[in-house]
Amino acid sequence: MSDLHWMSASAAAAAIAKHELSPVELTKALLARIARLDPRFNAFIRVEADAALKDATAAEAEAAQGRLRGPLHGVPVGIKDIIDVAGLPTTCHSKVLADAAPANADAECVTRLRAAGAIVLGKLSTHEFAIGGPSLDLPWPPARNPYNRDHHPGGSSSGSGVGLAAGFFPMALGTDTGGSVRNPASACAIVGLKPTYGLVSRRGVFPLAFTLDHVGPMTRTVADNAVMLAVLAGYDPLDPGSVASARSGSYARSLESGVRGLRIGFVRHFHEVDLPADPEIAAGLERVAKTLASEGAEVIDVKLPPLEDFAAVNRVILQSEAWSIHAEWLKERPGDYGRLARRRLMSGAFIAAGDYVLASRRRSEMNAAVDAALREVDILLCASAMDPPCKIEDPAAVERTYMRQARTPFNVTGHPALAMATGLSRDGLPLAAQFVGRYFDEATVLRVARSWERAAGTDALHPPL
Amino acid sequence: MNEKTIEVLARCAGLEKALKEFPDDVAAAASSAGKVTDHVRATSVAPPSLEPWPPMVVRT
Repeated sequence: MSDLHWMSASAAAAAIAKHELSPVELTKALLARIARLDPRFNAFIRVEADAALKDATAAEAEAAQGRLRGPLHGVPVGIKDIIDVAGLPTTCHSKVLADAAPANADAECVTRLRAAGAIVLGKLSTHEFAIGGPSLDLPWPPARNPYNRDHHPGGSSSGSGVGLAAGFFPMALGTDTGGSVRNPASACAIVGLKPTYGLVSRRGVFPLAFTLDHVGPMTRTVADNAVMLAVLAGYDPLDPGSVASARSGSYARSLESGVRGLRIGFVRHFHEVDLPADPEIAAGLERVAKTLASEGAEVIDVKLPPLEDFAAVNRVILQSEAWSIHAEWLKERPGDYGRLARRRLMSGAFIAAGDYVLASRRRSEMNAAVDAALREVDILLCASAMDPPCKIEDPAAVERTYMRQARTPFNVTGHPALAMATGLSRDGLPLAAQFVGRYFDEATVLRVARSWERAAGTDALHPPL
Repeated sequence: MNEKTIEVLARCAGLEKALKEFPDDVAAAASSAGKVTDHVRATSVAPPSLEPWPPMVVRT
């Protein structure tokens, strides 16, 4: 088979199940591509070639006997390096943990992927501790955008986005505390979903901010995202944030149902008033709205609190909780952090307890506001990034990137949110949109996303490598 | 937040080493914290009795 590197996870799993594709052949092809191209893009912190080939060989033997572990049997996956993989150190892309002892066990999300048959290829670049980056002062270089390596690939799940766009693997795990799954999805033209808070276990993931952290599937296609989410979703009694009564199950069933009859709330003020977007971003959002309307959805304007209010609440909570995690290291070894992470993480030392409570109280109001909007419509459409990916070695532009986005609202409120491409800019850089659903209604988010993907052909976008 | 206040707060938080080695980073961290807390204080109209916890109500 040719072009194995662009094969979707679903297609690969189907071909393996029918004995048309060998997991070893697929894994070898991807490892060869990684060896050839990753020195330019730095998606990986470590490639576990021997372990992956051993697991692929076992998967091949099982497939030959008709024993398939699950819907991802024999399909490779990349893991963001703040997520534990048994036997490997979790470095968080930081000198602070560069010599960390190997993890004793897989994170729950990795356990679930392996149980479904996935093969771990290695650990992926991230912004330091999922907050400080992209940085050139860390033990590993920052990941670079496959559409143009001079540009930022988004973060913090940067290696996940880069590796998917570069054809290194068909699925990856990311984490999202202020938009870190959806930012690289937007910058690399892939599909990134931040599920409802509590749907996917965070056990075994190095925390950034307990009440904002989410683990999410990252893929090249919406269908793969649905399959991966079905594997990841479910109650974990050992994750205090996990929701026992969470609905999970098949997210793929209604993917092809279209949008006829759905009410879509377009949050225009995010990109028209709060943070006026680049014209190509705005035009992309209009294309999405018009396309979905032409397919039978009713698109109406919806108003939420201003982006600046969401961002401030997100930061007060994030920085307070992150300080509680990093305080001792920041006191004793501040020089072991890169400059960006050190600055961002120390902020929590200057936030009073009363301000944290005030932000948490404001958060309750924001949850109610988004919930109220989602009682009037089935789904929200809004911007993700306000600009195409900026130059990676322009610190001011990178800093601006993190201010000019509409992802943090849904970390604050916990609603499911998916970012995906609307197309490419005149300069060949990804442009993106975001869909947001009701709590635990990922099925509708994915269904609408699939309608747009089908209409626009965004799953066929690949960088010119 | 003025320089003296930042220094006092940083020392209270145990950031003496960072103050000595990375004073600009400490100042930037304090400035960032000040901006976001000021914004939350200025825009919050929630009554003091509003329950701040749990942080979100997730309906299933």
